[in-house]
Amino acid sequence: MEAELKWLDDPAVYRINQLPAHSDHQAYATAEEVLDGKSSLVQSLDGQWDFIFAENPQVRPANFWQSDFEGFTDQITVPSEIEMSDYAQIHYINTWYPWEGKIFRRPAGALEAENLQTGSFSQATDNSVGIYRKKFNLAPGLKGKQIRVRFEGVERALYLWLNGHFIGYAEDSFTPSEFNLTPYLKDEDNVIVVEVFKHSSASWLEDQDMFRFSGIFRSVSLIAQPKIHVEDLHLMPTVNDDFVGGQLAMKLKLETKEAGYLTVDVADADHQTLIHERYEVNDTTTIRPTNFERVHLWDTDDPYLYHLTIKVYNQSGTLLEVVPYDFGFRRIEINQDHVIMLNNHRLIINGVNRHEWDAHSGRTITMADMKQDITTFKANNINAVRTCHYPDRLEWYQLCDQNGIYMMAENNLESHGTWQKSGAVEPSYNVPGSLKLWLPAVLDRARTNFETFKNHPAILFWSLGNESYAADDIAAMNKFYKDHDDSRLTHYEGVCRNEAYRGQISDVESWMYLPPKGVEKYLKHADKPFLECEYMHSMGNSVGGMGSYIKLMKKYPQYAGGFIWDFIDQAIFVKDPVTGEEVLRYGGDFDDRHSDYEFSGDGIMFADRTPKPAMQEVKYYYGLPK
Amino acid sequence: MDYQNKLHVIYGDGTLGLQGKNFAYLFSYERGGLESLKVAGKEWLYREPKPTFWRATTDNDRGNGFNIKSAQWLAADYALPCTKITLKVDDHRFKHLPIAPATNQFSNAEYAKQVKLSYTYQTLTNPATTVKVSYKVKADGTIKVVAKYHGQVGLPQLPVFGMRFIMPTQATKFKYEGLSGETYPDRMAGGKPGTYEVTGLPVTKYLVPQENGMHMATKWVKLTRATTQNNADPDKESFSLLFKANKHDFAFSALPYTSEELENATHHEELPPARRTVLVIAGAVRGVGGIDSWGADVEPAYHISAEEDHEVRFEIKLPEA
Repeated sequence: MEAELKWLDDPAVYRINQLPAHSDHQAYATAEEVLDGKSSLVQSLDGQWDFIFAENPQVRPANFWQSDFEGFTDQITVPSEIEMSDYAQIHYINTWYPWEGKIFRRPAGALEAENLQTGSFSQATDNSVGIYRKKFNLAPGLKGKQIRVRFEGVERALYLWLNGHFIGYAEDSFTPSEFNLTPYLKDEDNVIVVEVFKHSSASWLEDQDMFRFSGIFRSVSLIAQPKIHVEDLHLMPTVNDDFVGGQLAMKLKLETKEAGYLTVDVADADHQTLIHERYEVNDTTTIRPTNFERVHLWDTDDPYLYHLTIKVYNQSGTLLEVVPYDFGFRRIEINQDHVIMLNNHRLIINGVNRHEWDAHSGRTITMADMKQDITTFKANNINAVRTCHYPDRLEWYQLCDQNGIYMMAENNLESHGTWQKSGAVEPSYNVPGSLKLWLPAVLDRARTNFETFKNHPAILFWSLGNESYAADDIAAMNKFYKDHDDSRLTHYEGVCRNEAYRGQISDVESWMYLPPKGVEKYLKHADKPFLECEYMHSMGNSVGGMGSYIKLMKKYPQYAGGFIWDFIDQAIFVKDPVTGEEVLRYGGDFDDRHSDYEFSGDGIMFADRTPKPAMQEVKYYYGLPK
Repeated sequence: MDYQNKLHVIYGDGTLGLQGKNFAYLFSYERGGLESLKVAGKEWLYREPKPTFWRATTDNDRGNGFNIKSAQWLAADYALPCTKITLKVDDHRFKHLPIAPATNQFSNAEYAKQVKLSYTYQTLTNPATTVKVSYKVKADGTIKVVAKYHGQVGLPQLPVFGMRFIMPTQATKFKYEGLSGETYPDRMAGGKPGTYEVTGLPVTKYLVPQENGMHMATKWVKLTRATTQNNADPDKESFSLLFKANKHDFAFSALPYTSEELENATHHEELPPARRTVLVIAGAVRGVGGIDSWGADVEPAYHISAEEDHEVRFEIKLPEA
């Protein structure tokens, strides 16, 4: 198969040869590796890669994917944003598309079904290209096994080659993309080439209010699969009606190249074994549900996790793979009074929206950033996070499980500029809308989000996306979650713009920035639980009047709380050419036009991760006894 | 000199001098305010304190157009003509300001128990209104300041009302009894009462410089400096001045910049090098709002109506020897 540039234009092409999404579990070769937290089945490809930047698809070099291509001139760090290495202009824009006023574009099939906008991105002058190359030898632990490569985040469309062979294509910038490399892989002297386009039809689905970057901005790794391998793990812990006992059911999807067996161990938080069972290996192994007489429930105050360990053996008893996973028991539902109940208690969301941000490296963030954010959450009574407006780094979900942070796990979807123009609702070319052409792509985003993160107790809500209007396609995303998961609620704010879909979209009534009076008006006749997925816009010197919302929460149990907009200012450290000092810059400071300037500075944290003065107010109100 | 608990009154031709143990004040007739406030030989004033009305536009102010609706107050803050000065020494109220030749019968040994001056300012607004600032000076050097804003129908809401003191050099620290952190009327529930000391004059690092550093519900604030502009004063010992609430708590901010200087900068590095201390003691502070940053107004309870009267009163006290 050969790579085709026209895929960039076609919303129906969003993954080619990409492996199906699966749970985010990590496999280890031995139990000792689990303790050390380092798997010999994984080889990081992070670091310096050869690099070529091209202003647009037309001027990029030919044959760059060939193993003997000699045109690589530069090096770039993986992971990083191409713009932060000064190849392309840094640009911040909010609701408009980044080509506003520069290129006239309409989404494929949006105005007339037959107009597929051929060449819209593949022939575009604004579609910059990063070509990456890395040479590698296989680490010892990977040799002789099936090998895949995993890109954890690439904006916005990637083509992949290995040793001169085309491997595959992926979109959806914020979820892992995996490809099987085994057929063309050697033990030594492998050449992997990745071509990253800033724009594709997916750009219409990724119009989030943020700096518009491109590149391999999250880690890349090789992952080995032994002859018997747990490809997918689906844990289904349930809590009984008495909230005392519970059940653990699970489904495993195995890849088996030989016969064998596996053991399933469950231990409590003190490592006392509760379950130890052995199963023969089948392609799909359903583990029989186990009753727990008493379950220790998980919540924000007591994020109690049980330890699951799956060990995979071949017939001769050789250990092939160890899969640990910490899970929790909790139950979320809506009662007859339209109150969200977690473990039979009213759910109170003291939340924030959190973009992934580091003022030195943009959306390439570190473990230290994440840990510091969790520390800040805990120190200030923040108990919930909305992953605005895309899935976060994999580790963030584990940190939320461990620290009792309730999650609203949002899909990578925002098409703001297709339906809202200068504040007015104008959905003439809205995507995904009810367009059949765009449905598979957005459903794939829902599926990937679900399959990847389904085992995290912290996730209480699946959020269908942000500010994308509402019609059949988003209703289908809602249905996808309902069909696959009865342990969580669905959330989508945008349906308030198109009330006809209210019955099909979102278990909760969600608004953003609705003033207290409007909130109360709804709460007097609530027929769904209410929350503000964004409120208290913390831009500059702000967060005044929060008490009016907190008063309403006391009065109306149907009010579940909200997520402050947002956690951290998005601003970028640069060296001031006048003073030589390191200073913070925002939209427009890079001659980037049209810009929304300082509008990305809405955090309750400054971009340098120190708290704004308003934090003491947040801490006070979020710490009040409820 | 033995003052015997009385003020030494010096009838100058352009100023009224008041002196006592450890202090010397000059109230100017020409410059429309208190020109010099010298304590233990250290000058505390760079220019005459005046009423202040403007706060550097916040993102929310810009979003809801408050800076446009209330733009008149920027002009009023920028330039404020003094239209009337009155003087009362003990029980004697002067019909005209006492300058030569009317003062020729006085000597260098004039004393009083208490002197009161008032300055009336007229705002550059349409319609105009007035603010009367009175200073009552006692023999121990304490100055009771009362600034009264006169409400005027038809004026847009006020960003702030208070007195602004600009001091010649930067304070090294300030200490106050009030609430923790930066607080505003609609964002002070989380402020913990206590006594706090702040080093330097920190400007809150909002991405675009704007109104910042307010401290609500304050009982007193003591500023400490270590330097002067006096070329003959090599001393680097710290010295302090106390501002104490009178009847009602006040709000204050202590920054190196005026609201106009903050207003002009789009980034922190554009602010001028910090040189002075700008102390605002406010009797009325507008809330900051926070529902959104593109239209939502501050809640009505935290507006400052310019159609109603406002006042701020406090005492300037010498540090206890």
